[in-house]
Amino acid sequence: MDLTYIFQQVLNALSLGSMLALLAVGYTMIYGVLGLINFAHGEVFMIGAFTAMYAITGLGFPLPIALILAIIASVLAGVLLERFCYRPVQGSGDITLFITSLAASIGIRSLFVMLFGSRSMQFPMPKYLQGIRFWGDILITDLNLIIFVFTVIITLILSFFIKNTKLGIAMRGVSYNKQTAEAMGINSTSIIVATFVIGSALAAVAGVAWGLQYGNVRPAMGYHPGISGFIAAVLGGIGNISGAAISGFLLGVGQVLFVAFLPSVYSGFRPLFVWIVLFIILFYKPTGLFRSNIKWE
Amino acid sequence: MAKDSNNKNLLTLENIESGYGKVKVLHNVSLKIKEGQIVTIVGANGVGKSTTIKTILGLIKPSSGQIKFKNELINSLETYKIIAKGIGYSPEGREVFGNLNVYENLRIGAYTVSKDDFTKRLEEVYQLFPRLKERKNQEASSLSGGEQQMLAIARALMQDPDLLILDEPSLGLAPIIAEEIFNRLAEINQMGTTILLIEQNVNLALHLSDHAYVMEKGKFVLDEKASILAQNDYVKKTYMGIA
Repeated sequence: MDLTYIFQQVLNALSLGSMLALLAVGYTMIYGVLGLINFAHGEVFMIGAFTAMYAITGLGFPLPIALILAIIASVLAGVLLERFCYRPVQGSGDITLFITSLAASIGIRSLFVMLFGSRSMQFPMPKYLQGIRFWGDILITDLNLIIFVFTVIITLILSFFIKNTKLGIAMRGVSYNKQTAEAMGINSTSIIVATFVIGSALAAVAGVAWGLQYGNVRPAMGYHPGISGFIAAVLGGIGNISGAAISGFLLGVGQVLFVAFLPSVYSGFRPLFVWIVLFIILFYKPTGLFRSNIKWE
Repeated sequence: MAKDSNNKNLLTLENIESGYGKVKVLHNVSLKIKEGQIVTIVGANGVGKSTTIKTILGLIKPSSGQIKFKNELINSLETYKIIAKGIGYSPEGREVFGNLNVYENLRIGAYTVSKDDFTKRLEEVYQLFPRLKERKNQEASSLSGGEQQMLAIARALMQDPDLLILDEPSLGLAPIIAEEIFNRLAEINQMGTTILLIEQNVNLALHLSDHAYVMEKGKFVLDEKASILAQNDYVKKTYMGIA
């Protein structure tokens, strides 16, 4: 077990970390404005991946177009969720919201099983993403690198947007106090919709990245990444965007390293890692790793 | 004073009934504010002063009666639309956005206006409250109580409202700071903004105002020129602690 091996494993984990970061940012933003852990976020991610898969294999579109269609489909799913699942039960308490989002998650997943079956379907990867490069003894795939760079760029743009634009400031205002924000002339409903649009678009990107990285999609694919993204959001101090992104990367890398150090028969234990982390963190620091709650920065 | 006789009504409440769910708080409340006036509602805790404000702002919908702002019926509108018609609101307890800095709080206050108007207005508001300019990059939660109150008022002024509504601006402030705030309110009024004030510091409030209402158990029991109310024995005894 040498440094090269560890470094190689970290590089391998970059794409997984990126996907979890994108999901965690969506979780944390939606939690910020709605006080809701949107468990259906994993399904929004899955819908993005399915749409891209169908656009490529069924309709023969190139990947960039498929990505745009995936974003549109996920955004639509997110907005419909907000409109028809969460808005009607707003103000009826945390438990109601919690159960609603769990029900939405299970409902969407089951619907996709009915429509497409529960088996994996192949997600084709274009030739130009199949490259591999070597740095000394270390190997990295182009895809891994592209997903990572893409995620960093998106996260930086989003942070800038949240920090500096009027809409971004309004989102932070609504997440701090919805009623006061309304009394400043902000239509909080449209801010909430805008947040679902952004969060769902990020989930779509993560979904397409997942399809490319693992080569297949299936209706239940959102479950584990969804849970991991949620845990990354908790780790980041829920409501904290940069915290969520960084925690997403850390969780991805941690998951890969966790199984890398175990004998290969235990590779199926990868998801266990996030639960152990959640348990430890919540035990010692119930508010999360990063500074304070509901703090968008 | 000339300004309370001839001017047009800016805000009127007619026979408002309002409350929370089945609990009625306001009973047949009527109120008139003319352009340019400072009007105060005084009263003890829990008699319905804040409920009156929340009803005006549409945070609570009245069960009957009419609310008119600039001669337009507003009681069925959503809060953010009512605000956009030209009402600035400084809530009870200040309610600044603690996670945003001073500048960002003011940006939210100007949510309904254009970027150019915001820049212009920002300078005017900084002139009125120079302390806020010094602290523009500081998080609102790190300000003192008096500074937070100034920020809440400044934020309410950002859209250059026709009517400024303030809920207990002196609450929890040292007397000297409260006086400073009230001096600022007089300045703001002189620049042409009509003010509706809710206040427990009756002495300060009556001194500043043109007209005042005394609220008890969800009803207005007195409705007079402020200078006259300040001489009223009942008001003196009940609200100013002067026997």
